[in-house]
This record gives sequence, structure tokens and C-alpha cells, in this order.
Amino acid sequence: MTGAALLPLSVLVPWVLAASLALADGRRPLVAWVSVVGIGAGFACVMGLTFAVLRGGPVEMVAGGWPEGVGITLRADALGVTFAAVSVGVILASLVYEVLGGVRSRTFPALVAFMAAGLTGLFLTGDAFNFYVFFEISMTAAYALTGYREKDYQVRAAFIFAVINLLGSVIFLIAVAALYHVTGTLDMEVMARRAAGVQPSSIISIAVAVLVAFSLKLGLFPFHFWLPAVYVGSHPPVAAILSGALANIGGYGLLRFGADVLPRELELGTAAVLVLGTASIIYGALQAISRQETAEVLAYSAIGQAGYILVAIGIGGPVAYAAAVVYAVVNSLNKALLFLAAGGRGRLVGAAFAVGAFSVVGVPPAAGFVAKLAMFRASVEAGSVALTALIFLGGALSFVYAFQIYQRIYWTPEDGKRKAGPLPARILVGLLAVLILAAGLWPEPLLVLGEAAAGVLEGR
Amino acid sequence: MTSAMTRMVARLLLLPTLITAVAILVKGYTQPGDGFSAGVVASLGVLLQLMVFGREEAEKIPGVRQAGTLAFVGLLAALGLAVWPLLLGDAVLTHYPPPGAKVLHFGTLEFITAVLFDCAIFVLVFGFVVGTVGAISRAIEDADEQEAP
Repeated sequence: MTGAALLPLSVLVPWVLAASLALADGRRPLVAWVSVVGIGAGFACVMGLTFAVLRGGPVEMVAGGWPEGVGITLRADALGVTFAAVSVGVILASLVYEVLGGVRSRTFPALVAFMAAGLTGLFLTGDAFNFYVFFEISMTAAYALTGYREKDYQVRAAFIFAVINLLGSVIFLIAVAALYHVTGTLDMEVMARRAAGVQPSSIISIAVAVLVAFSLKLGLFPFHFWLPAVYVGSHPPVAAILSGALANIGGYGLLRFGADVLPRELELGTAAVLVLGTASIIYGALQAISRQETAEVLAYSAIGQAGYILVAIGIGGPVAYAAAVVYAVVNSLNKALLFLAAGGRGRLVGAAFAVGAFSVVGVPPAAGFVAKLAMFRASVEAGSVALTALIFLGGALSFVYAFQIYQRIYWTPEDGKRKAGPLPARILVGLLAVLILAAGLWPEPLLVLGEAAAGVLEGR
Repeated sequence: MTSAMTRMVARLLLLPTLITAVAILVKGYTQPGDGFSAGVVASLGVLLQLMVFGREEAEKIPGVRQAGTLAFVGLLAALGLAVWPLLLGDAVLTHYPPPGAKVLHFGTLEFITAVLFDCAIFVLVFGFVVGTVGAISRAIEDADEQEAP
């Protein structure tokens, strides 16, 4: 199939699936497996689209066959498809994990499908307002997923999550409206072109609003205060989806709205972005070290890891943007593996967790090494000793917390006695670990993706 | 219990509200329909009944009990209409007949797929709003019942 057919299919398959699943009882194994097959089909479409885009350049489709600039566009470029492929992949793995262990809520498969629909739409749209709409769809699915098992503290977490995110939504919507006011369009490509001709002073406040909205919604430092509460309450596959798929919106949004649509404003804010990134890395790592509970450690680790992406975006230029993309991809795979593995027990899962921990730290041959290397290259290219030292320090700190958890979970005498969970689920976690090792041993595809995505941002 | 006046006004308002909704559904602001506004208007009419007469009475209006299902049926129908042009080799959401072609009329009502799409959106919005508020009122009733005995 060609890219032109795969683009709408990638968005529509999870949509139709979500709407149909909502009418069925997700606890029935048949329904659960239908959802797996459906999300699998969606993933296949996104992968096909990724290859089509890498080989033949961006694919575009204007809804309703309207002339460009009038209709709403779906646009798949290397940056969008990379994030879409990783996110849907993580969602698929988490869904399979949950289905293997037995779905406990009738709405779970439908919510996961809605999440996939929202995320693919968001990464593949060329329209700022549609971006907002898809953002809300995936966020709404996320609130509902947070309250998955309906324990009191989970519902409380879902409530905090919803309130904070609605606040973020309002700020983001204001920013989109303001961008429309200044540029007279909602199409991102046209917006970028017109914003380049406007005084940066009239857009800088909008850029700040966009940054604040994304930071708030995704828990970047210093807007992270709500994040640990949500992660501690959530069920492992849900945490994997939130951290491995949903959180990608942050990196993508900053790259798209910062580096792509408002590059001059991003340049003006370089210092601020670098400071925020540095603070996140150090703060996230120190907090993670001081925490006891696994979910909490991983939540603070997520804050720290987002810092690296911020730093890369702050450095700017093709090498750093490529590093940001590679880092985001590897990070979401790591987080998916760690959260899923932390939910299980036994030797295989312990080994998988160790691989994930090595990957977070950046030890070869795990994929995290490739990501850290890309970051080092970016910081060396920028000629900054301080940044290089920071990345090294962040890695060293993450080593401490990653192995603290490992010790606490798997090095206890009771580990062997606890229930290990179903074997297929453990094998799935093992496969994820193998994937991360493979990506570290053969990093070509990852680097090609990163460079292609950075090429999109430099192409303007 | 609500006063007799409130109940009378609520009863009187239902039919005009629904008719207004249908009018908006087939003729929107600048021509072909506006399913979203029509859905909101119709559901407001039904919600008034729900507030004044209670859930049991309101559920006698067809479609209110099945509102949750209706929302997803509407969503599926809208998605189906969006996907359909792909099979004919056109862009997503293309409507037929195309601009400039002859359109079948029935009075001022035009038969184009855009109106069908709006009907699906209408069902989606109506189902979602009524379904959500119905679910909330059911949750409140359950909580009251638990406290009562």
C-alpha cells in the first residue's frame, strides 16, 4: 500500500476500533483479543507509513479534497511518524501485557484504543487546532485509565490529573487562538512561514504559553508536582502507557511548536530551556534516589529523562534535534519496559528490568547507550563542557536509583517465593528487553529515524 | 418536587426544542446542517425533562435510555462516512455529489452526504450529553438509596 492510503488508515483504524469496542465488554477474552488485533493493525499501518515517509518524503492529505490552506490536513513527516510508531508500539505492548494477565475492566480495551487514536491523530495532523482536539482525546482516555481499578487513591489521582490537565488545556487553547490571531491560519506549515515574518516580540508570550501548557500537561520541571501522585496510583500497564506513549507528546510538542513552527522564539528562549532542562535532570535524579516505592522512583526518573530532551532542544541544530528524537524514542521504550517489568516477579522479569535499568543509565549494549551517545555528541558539538558534565552526572545519578530499585525488588530472598504472573506476560517483558538490546547493538535504524526527523525541522 | 408551573413550561418546551433541533440539523448557519448545535439543542430539551420530571419519566422519551449506545453508534456512523470516500479513491471526508454537480432537492432540503454526516454528529452529541448526565443522575440516585435505609 502507498503512503497516501496508509496515512488516513493509521488514524482511522484505532478510531473505528475504539468506537466499536466501547459497545462491547472488554473483560471477555474475545473482545480483548480483537482489541489487540485492531491495535496491531493500526501499528502495522503506522510502520508502513514510516517506511513510506522515510523512502518517499512527507505524505499529505487534505480532508474532503479541499484545496490546501482551506481544508484540514493530515501530514505525515519523519518527525511525526517516528513518534507515532513508538507510541503505538508501546500501547500495543502494554495492551498485550494486560490482556495476557486478564482484563479487569470492561472499558480498558476501548480506552486504550481511544488513546491510540488520539496519539496517532496528534502526531500525524498538520493543523494546530486538530492537534489540540487529538491531545484532549488522548488525555481524556488517560484520566479514565488512571482510575482503572477504581480504588479510592486511584480515583483521587485521576481527579488531580484531570484538573491539572484541564488547566493546561485552557492555556494551550489560548496559545492556539493567539497564534491564529497573529498568523491568520491554523495550518502548522503556513503558520511557521507567516510567524517567520512577524516581530518575535509579538509571539514570544505565545511561545511561553505553549511551553507552559506542555510542561504542565506532561509534568516537566517545575510543573511536575502532580506527576508522582498519578504514577504511584496507577496499574503497571497504565503507567507504561502514560509514561511510554502519552508523555511523548511533550517532546514532540516542543519539537513541533518550538523548533518547527516558532524557531526564532525558541532561540530567544534558549537560556530558559537549558536551565529548565538542567534543573529537571538534577532534581528528577535526586528525588528518584530519595524515594522508596518503585512507581515513585520511576515517576521522578521520568521528570529527569524529560530534562535531557529539553536540554537537546535548547542546544538546537541538526545534531541536537536528532539526539532529542533518539532520546525520546529510547526513553519511551525504557519506561514501557521498566513499568511493565516492575509489575512482575521472577528471574526473567528481573533480567528484563536490569536491561531497562542499564538502558536508562546508558550502559552498552542497551539502546540507552546510543541515546546518551547522541546527547554527548550534541553537547560536544555545542562546545559546552558544563553540558557534557551534566549529562555524565545525570547518568551517574540514574545508575544509583535504577539499581536501588533492582535491589529492592529482585535481590530480596522473598523474590523467588512471590507469584510470578503468567508466563506469556513475562515472555513479553523479556521480548521488550531483547528489543532494547537489539536497538543498542544495531543502532542504524534509530539513528536514521533521528536524522530524518531532525531533517524535517531544519528543512524550513 | 417541582412546581406545577415549572412542569407545565417544561412539557410545553419539549416539542418546540426538538423541532428547532431538527431545523438546525438540516439547515445550519451557512447552509448544510449543523449536527453539533442541533445535538446540543435537542439534548438541552431532554435534560430539562430530566431535571423537572426525574429520570424515570424522562426515559420514556425514545432514545434517552439507550443514550450511551447512541453516542457510539453516531461516532461509528460518522467515521464510516469519513472513510467511505477512501474506497472510491477520494480524500477522507469527501462529500457527494461534488461541488457544482446537480443536487436532489426536497423543498429546500438538499440530499448530500454532508447532511448525513451531520445526522451522525447529531446522534453522537445527543447520545453523549444525555448519556453522561443520565449516568451522573443514576450515580446520585444510587448514593441516595444507600443512605436512605
